[in-house]
Amino acid sequence: MVEELQINNKLNSEIVLNAENINFSYDNGYKVFKNINIGAARGKFVAIIGPSGIGKSTLLRILGGFLKPDSGEVKLLGSKLNMPTPEVALIHQSIVTFPWMTAEDNVKLAMKAKRMTGDQMEEKARESLARVGLDGFEDLYPKEMSGGMRQRVAIARAFAADPYVFLMDEPFAHLDELTAEGLRQDIYNILFSGETPLKSVIMVSHNLTEVLELSDEIYILNGIPASVVGKVDVAMKRPRNPRSDEFNANLDMLYNYLTPPRKGEEGKKK
Amino acid sequence: MNVFLLIILAVLATAGRVIGLVILSIVTGWFLAYASIKSKFFENAYIILIEIFESVPVITFFPVVLVIFITRIGGTLGVELAADFLVFTAVVWNIWMGEYQAFKTVPNEMAEVAENSNFSLFQKLRYLYIPFSVPRIAANLFPSVSDGFFYITVSEVFEVGIHTYQSFGAGSVLNTFVADANNIAIEGTLIILAIVIIIIILILREFSRYAVSRYTLDNDTPILKRGRLNMKQTARAFSVLSKNPLSRLATYYKYREADKHEDKYEKTLKREKYLKYVYASIGIIILLAILYSSASLIISVKSGEWQILFSKTPLLLIGLGYDYVRVGSILLVSMIIAIFLGYHLAVNKRAEYAGIPIIQTLSAYPAPIYFPFLFIFTEPFIFSIFGGFTNELYVLGLGFVSTFYYVLYSFWMGVKAMPSEYWEIMKNLNMGFFKKMRKVILPSTFPYLISGVSSTINSAWGGLMIGEYWPHIYGTHTLYVHTGLMKTIDISTSSGNIALAAWGSLIFGIIVAIYSILFTRRMMDMAQKKYVAEEGIYSA
Ligand SMILES: Nc1ncnc2c1ncn2[C@@H]1O[C@H](COP(=O)(O)OP(=O)(O)OP(=O)(O)O)[C@@H](O)[C@H]1O
Ligand SMILES: [Mg+2]
Repeated sequence: MVEELQINNKLNSEIVLNAENINFSYDNGYKVFKNINIGAARGKFVAIIGPSGIGKSTLLRILGGFLKPDSGEVKLLGSKLNMPTPEVALIHQSIVTFPWMTAEDNVKLAMKAKRMTGDQMEEKARESLARVGLDGFEDLYPKEMSGGMRQRVAIARAFAADPYVFLMDEPFAHLDELTAEGLRQDIYNILFSGETPLKSVIMVSHNLTEVLELSDEIYILNGIPASVVGKVDVAMKRPRNPRSDEFNANLDMLYNYLTPPRKGEEGKKK
Repeated sequence: MNVFLLIILAVLATAGRVIGLVILSIVTGWFLAYASIKSKFFENAYIILIEIFESVPVITFFPVVLVIFITRIGGTLGVELAADFLVFTAVVWNIWMGEYQAFKTVPNEMAEVAENSNFSLFQKLRYLYIPFSVPRIAANLFPSVSDGFFYITVSEVFEVGIHTYQSFGAGSVLNTFVADANNIAIEGTLIILAIVIIIIILILREFSRYAVSRYTLDNDTPILKRGRLNMKQTARAFSVLSKNPLSRLATYYKYREADKHEDKYEKTLKREKYLKYVYASIGIIILLAILYSSASLIISVKSGEWQILFSKTPLLLIGLGYDYVRVGSILLVSMIIAIFLGYHLAVNKRAEYAGIPIIQTLSAYPAPIYFPFLFIFTEPFIFSIFGGFTNELYVLGLGFVSTFYYVLYSFWMGVKAMPSEYWEIMKNLNMGFFKKMRKVILPSTFPYLISGVSSTINSAWGGLMIGEYWPHIYGTHTLYVHTGLMKTIDISTSSGNIALAAWGSLIFGIIVAIYSILFTRRMMDMAQKKYVAEEGIYSA
């Protein structure tokens, strides 16, 4: 009873996933981050932008518990996260599917460690695949699919894990615009439908239009080592129209933040 | 019993041993490879051991192993286990190393998916690591199966002192048929063995094709590193050992301190940490066991005996020198043939289609089985030409037929793996054969050549071990050379002087291991850095 209360408490707290004072260097000594603070509140869609190579993928890995920061903490619903968990699902920048399994089996991977019967897994896997527009393709192997289809399998796998948080690294880069748009709306709707445990999304993207269309908050990374150099709260009403003047004004502002990383500073790569 | 039924059973017994031991190697290798990616300490111990044992031809420790098995276990079981052990050590290193390399090269992203889904150890192995290692295993199966057949037939009949030890199989029934001069049965055995080996090779080829089509990664899955890993790992062992134990303790303590508040994630993390210690302790136990057995072996030899052994050492070293010259000539001939034949096989589709399966079958068909018959039929003719040099020639010949496939095969794979752009460039520049070889083909196939060369060297030693002293190769004939370390080891084994045989093997083992680690591995590393284009090991 007590435990349940506690969990409820956690669920109601504002912040779902956050990182505090993160410093991080790779094993080769390259310092990627200095004092990063970032958080995703319940029901929020958060975007991270920044120049190529600045550390966006690295930051998602830290947020997912895949990499351990040198100092600082990552917290999921207030408790310390120091290893990956199905509750925080990472969708990789490169397409990651297991070539020796069908689409359906790939999706089932997300549920293998859960206590589910074969039938439950199958149902859930089919449902997730349908969500990304792959019904009827369950039995194809990744080698028989296009890059975009495979990326959708990876997204379906993340759906099937029933996570609290999605960490998405350029998830739509491999998709055609129509499919991408459909999936964006889908993810957004799921986030606010309350039908799944999903509470927030953190997305990395180069596509500023996409970022502006989806996000409530945008973190801007820059510098070497990188830190959060700006945070934009997007107040535009939804649904947002990328052709409106307001949208374009916001877009211009974002572009100005994205200057290339400054060279010659401390921590520069050998 | 019907003779042919007997032959079929014997051949199946031999094939069964080889296949069973290959499977045993594969399965044990998965767990060892997993332990080594989880624990640096275990990894270092494991890799050093593989490298040493891989570079010492197994047959040299066979006499000692046999005696240990027979005195400790005894009876049919002891002999059977000794034979199995020999074959196991012939097939296992390739496979273990391949699996280890596969596990090390699992793309980080795929491992992250497994972690993200909270996989248990068995789930990680089942869904990720094991499937990922399948193409590697497939590539290593040909040489392993060949080596297995090579040694199993030798180990089925073995003489130590006045005793002859036999285990049931193609080698031992053939031995009986030869003694009875039962020609039909001899031919039957050779043919049935050939049929079974051809069937196995065809199945392996099918498996290999299937493994490549099903288990290799799609192009856009990221791969950081492929191919043979940098062998600097060996050096790392010493850095682990030398790290100040106090500072290690301190980091451990710090970790404990940080852990005061418990979370559900932390519990699992702790379990992982403890598993690490378990793996490390297994590594330590294996090392201690080896140290212990070597120490107890050394202590068991009396000091008088040591003196005899030491006094014989210069002679052993001279023998080793001769043997190195033999290995060198075998290698040279093999390489020349490999480069011409391998090139033509690789560029000529038709020749390749027929040639490669034939080469694979020949390499798996154990030379020690058919060599005596080759000897009977050709000896008078060869003797009329070469006279006193005949025996030496046959020994070299045996070394050659038991080994030249490896370098040929890897060179062929290397040529196949060359990027198609290279061919276009060569065409464009209108290069002649030798220019092509010198400027493009040899440099770009260098890593393959090196790995072929090192397998060839290893197997050449096996051939010499058998050939340098082969009593009753047929009838009363004995094949032998004038001087050679392998001959000394053979003679002392069959005359029951196990101490000398062991001492010879030990000296040999140490020198080969040093040579291999200093030279072959260096070459591999260099090949890796300088020349590697893209791994084509799956092109078979
Ligand atoms: N395993 C690693 N070891 C050392 N350095 C690394 C490693 N992975 C990435 N880096 C370096 O860390 C920096 C950040 O990499 P990261 O992949 O996080 O960038 P990114 O912002 O995601 O770039 P992109 O937008 O191009 O995907 C880069 O300079 C990269 O070279
Ligand atoms: Mg990235």
